[in-house]
Amino acid sequence: MELASAKGTNAHKKYLLRTMAFMGGYVAINAAAITGAFDDIGRTAGLALGLVVAAPVAGQIWATLALMGESDEFMRALLAKRFIVASGLAMAIACAWGFMESYGDAPHVPAWMIYPLFWALFGIVSPFIRTSR
Amino acid sequence: MRNRLKVLRAEHGWTQQDLGDRLGVSRQAVNALETEKHDPSLDLAYRIAAVFGRPVEDIFDNPHA
Repeated sequence: MELASAKGTNAHKKYLLRTMAFMGGYVAINAAAITGAFDDIGRTAGLALGLVVAAPVAGQIWATLALMGESDEFMRALLAKRFIVASGLAMAIACAWGFMESYGDAPHVPAWMIYPLFWALFGIVSPFIRTSR
Repeated sequence: MRNRLKVLRAEHGWTQQDLGDRLGVSRQAVNALETEKHDPSLDLAYRIAAVFGRPVEDIFDNPHA
């Protein structure tokens, strides 16, 4: 039987490496966008850019699912609960803001903001979700 | 779920990490079991029983009995 400590350490090491790789790509694309690198790329390239920036997002979700698969049942349940709560809150906030924009003259916020919002909420709710029930 | 995990672990002189290594789970999982923050799966309950050489019922109270 593989030692839990080694198993956990290996799983978390892999998760950290994958996170750095995916987040690095995501941050690089966003940094380039902020500096205006994509301002004049045209419609087709702009649509393609949307798919490119989605790739590291999907990759990060896969890395999280892989970590859950390699964790023990308690850690897996905790991660799942935190993920569900953070997702639900992010969706609720996004829905509320969308209606506020449409009917309450709230300032426009780009839809891609839901991704950093989700991870911010994940970090906020995690310390409060400490049981698997 | 109420259990005697902490007492049994102490009798063996094991740390939570020691027991976790024997069970193939994290120290956090052992702590969650001892503090009743996690109800073990049937598979984990049987692994715990095997590690201590006792029936599951000796370690975990049956909440439905």
